[in-house]
Amino acid sequence: MQTNDSQIQNNVNAEQNTAVEYPRDTAAARGLANCHVCGLVTPVEHERCPRCNSKLHLRSPYSIQRTLALVITAMLFYIPANTLPIMTTTLLGKDDPSTILSGVITFFEHGSYFVAFVIFAASVMIPLAKMMIILWLCYTVTKREKVGKHELSRLYRITEFIGKWSMIDVFVVAILVALVQVSGLMTIEPGAAAQAFAGVVVLTMLAAQQFDIRLIWDKQK
Amino acid sequence: MNWLVDYQLDRNRRVACHECDALLVFPALKEGQSLVCSRCKQRQFSLRKNALNTTISYSICAFVALMLAVSFPFLSFSASGQARTINLLQASSEMFEQGFYAIGALVFLFILMLPALYLGCLLLLTLSVSAKTNLMSPVFLGRVMSFILPWAMAEVFIVGTLVALIKIVELADIVIGTSFWAFICFVVLFTLICNIANKHQIWQWVDRANQR
Repeated sequence: MQTNDSQIQNNVNAEQNTAVEYPRDTAAARGLANCHVCGLVTPVEHERCPRCNSKLHLRSPYSIQRTLALVITAMLFYIPANTLPIMTTTLLGKDDPSTILSGVITFFEHGSYFVAFVIFAASVMIPLAKMMIILWLCYTVTKREKVGKHELSRLYRITEFIGKWSMIDVFVVAILVALVQVSGLMTIEPGAAAQAFAGVVVLTMLAAQQFDIRLIWDKQK
Repeated sequence: MNWLVDYQLDRNRRVACHECDALLVFPALKEGQSLVCSRCKQRQFSLRKNALNTTISYSICAFVALMLAVSFPFLSFSASGQARTINLLQASSEMFEQGFYAIGALVFLFILMLPALYLGCLLLLTLSVSAKTNLMSPVFLGRVMSFILPWAMAEVFIVGTLVALIKIVELADIVIGTSFWAFICFVVLFTLICNIANKHQIWQWVDRANQR
């Protein structure tokens, strides 16, 4: 049974290798794999990188499927992250739960337009834009014949770069919860949205890491 | 196309672009130069002058800064006669006390644990290259570092702290502690170190340490 399975796997691998034609001048066209851990370029037949012993692949296996799964999970997490309160401020015994958006609105009403804009961008727009970009990349790579390679690469690079900066909101909550604990006067407690939001950030980061940008450059047209 | 590489070429002289997979010859880069992919124009890596010694000294400095950052007060907050001072660790431990274990653990990992672990691995690797004795397997250190790096978020935490300060600066008197400045020093040094000791440089050191 086991040999059968591994044979099937080998056939699938062989099919994948022959079915996909890599552009001339690429490492993959010569059967060379770029180790994703240490960057050593060796023939893919080695199966494991001779330097760091990581598994070798010409392209990340099931990259699109994994990316999509992670992005969809992140989108599900994004709903509670925006609807549930991210923290509860208790001022003189009065509870005031606030969501991400209500925090933005408070700043806006107080006239701090810049801070309102920064928080809105960092915690509402950027995560959403990131998920949309990753979905768009998956779509163009599978469905489109002609793609703007340089533009998509730039989009991907931006997504990867800003990935961890969305954690700002979670860190703000962590600092406020630790610092504002003046009993009887003012306390801040974390809300469930903080967890959901941390989930969104971690999942989108994983999704961006799973996506293999080389698939875009493999397009011949 | 003179950058096309012979299949038979020495393994250390060929590189594949991590973005478009173009096969490139690794030219004899001088210190201070960087390699740019001829197909997608993406910069691959650059070599810095005197990278080994610079990395060692910066890492030691960063470690000292981190020690200062965890041992002194980070921020203090006072309103109507009541004051509260926190240290850096409380940003995560307070979350634990409130029952938010997942976030507490993530915050601790992202801002302290992983950056410290990365520095420790890097210091072990660079010191074993320069002292010519291996304490731990260099390949193991290299692998650990490559998995940690995307998750080290000390610099994000600094910006988060600034946003938090903006939110509460009108409500109370805030005093910024020694730890805050030490942590900023740590973040600056850590960014410099990651820039000098890039992935390619690290694996060159691993090779050098392994050759003995």
